[in-house]
Amino acid sequence: MERGAMHIKWEWVLIPPLLLSFGLLVASQFVFLRGSFFADLGVGRLGNTFSLGNYQRIFSDGFYLSSLWLTVKLSAITTASTLIIGFPVAYILARMRSKVSLYLLATITAASFVTIVIKLLGLNIIFSSSSQLNAVLIGIGLVSEPITILGKTEGVTIGLMYFTLAFFVILLYGVVLSIPRALEEASQILGASRLRTYWRVVVPLALPGLVGSSLIVFNLCLGAFTSAVLLGAGKVLTLPVLIQRTVLLDTKYGMGGALSVVLLVAGLLINLVSLYAVTRLKASRGMTA
Amino acid sequence: MRWLTEKNIERALAVLWMLLFLVFLLGPLVVVVGASFGSGQRGMIDFPPREFTLQWYFAIAPMHLRAVGTSLLLASCSVVLAVLVGVPAAMGLVRSRFARKGVVAAMLRAPVQLPAVIVGVAFLQFYYVIGDLSGFYLTGSWYGMLIAHVFVTTPYVVSSVTAVLQRFNHQFEEAALILGASPWSTIRRVTLPVLAPGVLSGATYAFLVSFSDLPISLFLASEEVKTFPVVLFQSMDYDFNPSLLAVATLIIVGSFTLMLVFQKVMGMGTLLRSNK
Repeated sequence: MERGAMHIKWEWVLIPPLLLSFGLLVASQFVFLRGSFFADLGVGRLGNTFSLGNYQRIFSDGFYLSSLWLTVKLSAITTASTLIIGFPVAYILARMRSKVSLYLLATITAASFVTIVIKLLGLNIIFSSSSQLNAVLIGIGLVSEPITILGKTEGVTIGLMYFTLAFFVILLYGVVLSIPRALEEASQILGASRLRTYWRVVVPLALPGLVGSSLIVFNLCLGAFTSAVLLGAGKVLTLPVLIQRTVLLDTKYGMGGALSVVLLVAGLLINLVSLYAVTRLKASRGMTA
Repeated sequence: MRWLTEKNIERALAVLWMLLFLVFLLGPLVVVVGASFGSGQRGMIDFPPREFTLQWYFAIAPMHLRAVGTSLLLASCSVVLAVLVGVPAAMGLVRSRFARKGVVAAMLRAPVQLPAVIVGVAFLQFYYVIGDLSGFYLTGSWYGMLIAHVFVTTPYVVSSVTAVLQRFNHQFEEAALILGASPWSTIRRVTLPVLAPGVLSGATYAFLVSFSDLPISLFLASEEVKTFPVVLFQSMDYDFNPSLLAVATLIIVGSFTLMLVFQKVMGMGTLLRSNK
């Protein structure tokens, strides 16, 4: 028998699952996205002449444009805040020498998988008008009336943070693990302080991984629906919320499809631009180094 | 003050940061668990509870338990199908030789890159079209949800099995073949046992993703077939029943138990490595 001769044509093993997966992707997306090029006639029916009317409306109506901007802005703020909170946590976990870190990781992983609806329920209780937190804050005179997170962009941002934080820490943990500990030790032996080592060794080495994980989290936020709809309470209309309303409440499938295309394309463009910027940054560093 | 060294300050800051993070992360879950033992009236929830009572646990509505059952069954069936589709996909992807493998890998990953709302809306309309053509409507049915859930969970199995396969040394298989094992028994007795941790972590991800999904199920659910997140979502929007706190607590405890068991049996490393 010749070397490595497992007589299996792996291409043939790949084809059925690929066809199934790709078939479902194309079939479902095709119907939906095709609809975006036809006018809505009401009660879910679509016109039968090709038109760009839905797209024209999105790009001429301030309502849709401000929703797009809001979605991008909230996603960026959330990604930045979770990165600032999460990176030190991931760093501490990765450099911890005791077994406690594994149990902490198990806890964080479990927390990331409890459905966001339950976390939002807890947040709602914490910030309800009769909650202990509000009673204490009013008691010490920090605020004059109960803080609420409903119907506010700040509230939605907090909700989005709960959607991504635990998952982000797990991604960042992998990034820090890939940086050899010896490099940090070398830097400290050569006399750099811990903080200086952190800024001049750890962060630069982690940068590609940081950008990659941040983009994953940014994409999650762009498409995040539950936090925005439950905490936004009909006042914070991000694109995913608008898509759901357009389709379920107004039964305008054409417009819903067009909004989805805009969300997908906007996400794709932002990702491409960021990746391009990082490649340029790396290239320019490589030359000066 | 000799104990006030740089190292101790660093350590204290690390512990403090970690504690604040855990309070922030787990706060809402702790509140839900705590409030489930409280005696707050309908619509009023008290935390911390003034008295300890199990009344909401006895008041769990059969409809809510049915929703949890639907979620569990849906997640379990999704996992089985995702493994059946995902393992051959990963093996085929890693072992076949052709140009543009990256494109195929990206195609297999596409379902998790799409926002869940878009997946939900797209499947809803896809089912309408199929229904109009065949008279068989998948909207609002359990099978309709299952197909969509398999669609989004398969990539998790593919990526975790791919991660294991890429590290797997082909020489073990070659050795088995040279020693006279048939290809089938080589796969069964050499390849599959090596893949097991990858399959298990992919399956765990797939299960939890399916079990916690809201947006996809929301579009495809009906009054008869609802998952627990959908029930909770709808009741938060309209009329909140505190017995849902008790059900939520059971789910929180279940998720943490599952993870701790996983950590004990397989080690977190297996799960995290495959999450690339």
